[in-house]
Amino acid sequence: MSQPLPLARRAVLAAGLLAVAPLFPAPALGAADPAESFVSQNIQKGLVLLNNKSLTAQQRRDQFEQFLIGLADVKRIADFTLGQYRRSAAPADLAAFEVAFQNYAVAVYQSYFSKYAGQTLKVVSSTQRAPADYIVATQMIDPSDHSGQPPLEVDFRVRTDTGKPVLTDVAVGTSSGGQVWLSLTQRDQFVAFLGQNNGNVKLLIAHLSDLAKQFKS
Amino acid sequence: MRGAGALLLGFCGLALAGCAAPSPDALAANDPYEPANRQVFGLNQQLDRIFFIPTVQRYRTLPEGLRTGLHNVLRNLASPTIFLNDVLQAEPERAGRTAARFVLNSSIGLAGIFDPATPAGIPYHGEDFGQTLAVWGAGEGPYLMLPLLGPSNPRDMAGLAVDTFVLDPTNYIHIKDHLWWDAGRQYFNFLDLRSQSFEALQGIERSSVDYYAALRSLYRQTRDGEIRNGAPPPAAALPDF
Repeated sequence: MSQPLPLARRAVLAAGLLAVAPLFPAPALGAADPAESFVSQNIQKGLVLLNNKSLTAQQRRDQFEQFLIGLADVKRIADFTLGQYRRSAAPADLAAFEVAFQNYAVAVYQSYFSKYAGQTLKVVSSTQRAPADYIVATQMIDPSDHSGQPPLEVDFRVRTDTGKPVLTDVAVGTSSGGQVWLSLTQRDQFVAFLGQNNGNVKLLIAHLSDLAKQFKS
Repeated sequence: MRGAGALLLGFCGLALAGCAAPSPDALAANDPYEPANRQVFGLNQQLDRIFFIPTVQRYRTLPEGLRTGLHNVLRNLASPTIFLNDVLQAEPERAGRTAARFVLNSSIGLAGIFDPATPAGIPYHGEDFGQTLAVWGAGEGPYLMLPLLGPSNPRDMAGLAVDTFVLDPTNYIHIKDHLWWDAGRQYFNFLDLRSQSFEALQGIERSSVDYYAALRSLYRQTRDGEIRNGAPPPAAALPDF
């Protein structure tokens, strides 16, 4: 595309990560094919999860949160979206922002990707843009669409510099052939917001928390 | 009357906002006219709420087949302009596809109402003179928020003028009441475009921390992708993080 995390919650999230880690095998590093395997295996699981009618709304939210945390480097994305304001943010504000961003991202991305819950992900190709930095191009195939229109194109940016593949950005294709990277859009928004509000990170945190609540309700 | 009063106040604010100095963030975002642009954006949103959104919502109650037919006709009418821009960008293969689509959809597609070209393996692609200028090396210039038209920049504004008044072949065909033809076509182009993007824009606004900045970012990224004809961005275009 808006309070330090208690130790107890960190422990729960860490346990959640460990619990789901076996679901996300870390493929061999250094080649584009492992990035494709990472995306192909894991994103489809997310779409299946969002389409699981046997789960309650709360269960789906909780499982999607665990899924997203295991798949994406949320802290790295959060810090990126602050732009130049990351350097001047107090450590406590930065920690609180990372939590608020995670809650916001889970709520917004679940809402967004739920539209494609019944679809199938097809990996088309991948390119290595830099060492340990890959772009995996995919298409969302809708089995119920017989209009002949081209499928939605979604690119995933996969980094492997921390030892295991993680997602750091997603790009969605537009009908006119353009492409929009979500982390870039969020950074542009957050920096503009902070610029309009004297760099007040607490205000951004409050705004993100309100948005996350709106999406969850 | 209340809506008109709000708009009038808005225009006065716009005149004053044009005097405000841009922030360092605005300059870094190549948006030196951000204060005035935000005022125009505010006015556009008021116009949206008062007029355009209710109109688009009424339009969306029409049968989908009717709206799809109109969408196809409008795209077909734009084909000659797209073809000329394909040629100007030295893209013979894309020009050939545009020509084939126009012939197929105009004939078998009954004057463009239907789109047999897409299932025949000739998908639509758009081109405009703003993209042509970019391919020729013209920079986009500062970000602009135009009244009614929305996000743009000097290059794309110039491109729109050339497409509308020079490249569009209907300018050279004698049509009775040409002004009404042009106005009607632009009106339906606008309705069609807003209808197609209605839910997406609602979702973006709902999830945005700063809707103005979100649209600015979306506009630039989308245009860059259109200019590259959907090719991946160069490695340097994506930030390292």
